[in-house]
Amino acid sequence: MTTTRIRALMAKEFLDLSRNRLALVPVGLITILSLVMPFIIAVAIPYWTGEELGSDSDLLKVSGVVGHAALTPSARVQLFLFQQFLLLFLMTPITGAMALASHAVVGEKQARTLEPLLATPVTTGELLVAKVLGSLLPTLVISLAGVALYLAGITTMAAPGVAASMLNVRTALLVAFVGPAAALVSLQAAIIISSRVNDARTAQQFGVLIIIPLAAVLVAQFTGSLWLSSTTLGLLGLGLAVLWLLLLLVSVAIFDRDSILVKWR
Amino acid sequence: MISAQRLTRRFGARAVVDDVSFEVSRGEIVALLGPNGAGKTTTLRMLAGLIVPTSGAVVIDGVALTHATAATLRARIGFLTESPGLWDRLTVRENLSTYAKLYGLAHPDNAIDRVTEMFQLKQQASLRTAELSKGMRQKVALARALMHEPAMLLLDEPTSGLDPEITRGVRHLLDERRAAGSAILVSTHNLDEAERLADRVAVLHERLLAIDRPAALRRRLTTGRLIVRVTGDPSKSLKTIRRFDAAAAIEGATLVLRVADAEQQAPAIVAALVAAGAGVIEVRPEMPALEDVYLHLMKK
Repeated sequence: MTTTRIRALMAKEFLDLSRNRLALVPVGLITILSLVMPFIIAVAIPYWTGEELGSDSDLLKVSGVVGHAALTPSARVQLFLFQQFLLLFLMTPITGAMALASHAVVGEKQARTLEPLLATPVTTGELLVAKVLGSLLPTLVISLAGVALYLAGITTMAAPGVAASMLNVRTALLVAFVGPAAALVSLQAAIIISSRVNDARTAQQFGVLIIIPLAAVLVAQFTGSLWLSSTTLGLLGLGLAVLWLLLLLVSVAIFDRDSILVKWR
Repeated sequence: MISAQRLTRRFGARAVVDDVSFEVSRGEIVALLGPNGAGKTTTLRMLAGLIVPTSGAVVIDGVALTHATAATLRARIGFLTESPGLWDRLTVRENLSTYAKLYGLAHPDNAIDRVTEMFQLKQQASLRTAELSKGMRQKVALARALMHEPAMLLLDEPTSGLDPEITRGVRHLLDERRAAGSAILVSTHNLDEAERLADRVAVLHERLLAIDRPAALRRRLTTGRLIVRVTGDPSKSLKTIRRFDAAAAIEGATLVLRVADAEQQAPAIVAALVAAGAGVIEVRPEMPALEDVYLHLMKK
């Protein structure tokens, strides 16, 4: 596997995407939504209603999972909400890049660009890694920019102590490790689907299925019934990274050039 | 050299290519002729290592094409697919640049400059390929196939959709690649092109029906008739040539006679005509067109 060929293909993907910026609009919208929603719930609504977040006994109870006993009750609830909403940013590269990844192989086939590509010395592994990273990196950049704005917003608008409490190992693990690893796993699965179906719409439909378990984790987090500690997150990230490598091997093994060229129309 | 050895490819029970063997040597152009669905593209794809034969083997420069050797051998092949397959949102230069890097060229920019110059694409280099005409797109695809100066060229309908001027340019270019020592296999429907371009012609219809030099193929259908043109009134020479064929006749302005071996008997006929005082303009065996040979082979 040579990085030169992977980089060449990724550069092609970025160029293509830069000329088709509309494809990134959904990712941008999700990021804006993920950015605005937490501040409406954790800052604006309590301000407008004049009701302290800490006065809600249920929220106060569930926010206990975040620790930071030194914080005021309202600040702790705010921290809990901001921590939970952080997960939305992890979903952004997955949901945003899913459409790109689902289209990755079947799109090349339909545009009739796959055959000349497969006639080059590019290996299946190089092609698939380039397709996954080519889908992931642009959306990851947008998502990380969103996280930076999110943290800046918390520093500016949240109660004292909340921003400092956000900057911890857990947040770093979520943003820099678990999120990208989860995205890699999801996108590699989408690439597998894209190389097994012969229609972009079918690939897209299957892609949606991949997001369902991730959405379930998100909902469980929000209800407070699932709280992942730093250690658990570290192990989860590691597990996801290993799973990605396994999926990569599987996708290379089942990528059937013959069938793609001969049977797909 | 690229060698197809008893290549067979089945799709289910149907054999699309059946027991096909031939070789293309360095410095040789072979034209693959056949109707739609004859297995030309499938054969090219097998030779390019894109699809796997059901049985048989492909050997390139003495190395068998296998899963393990495919990536390395593909670097030696320039493959022009049936459709240009260009990335529409990328410019000509960006398309070529991506491929130059995929082929691991040491100086991609130099290679791109060379092929854009060769195909007169300099002015279009910064245009997106979606903006190009069909002919231009085909030129870019050809430039892409030739950019890494491959030892083997597999071209599927290279002049399809091109105007006569560009077609001539492509032929000239293939001549140059042949002179540079490339082994070239060209799939085409165009019999005239096959005859003009190829050293040998392979006629494929699921099986390999014939492979030979165009002239040799035409000789297979030779009629045994000799065409003689003389100065002045041909009827004055009729008596002389009837010594070789009593049924010789005049057809238009020519004398036509049937002989057992035209090449062997022609000198004696010319000598007899000259001795009789006739001015000989032309004596040639009547040869069928390659099209006639092709149609004959297809009917078999």
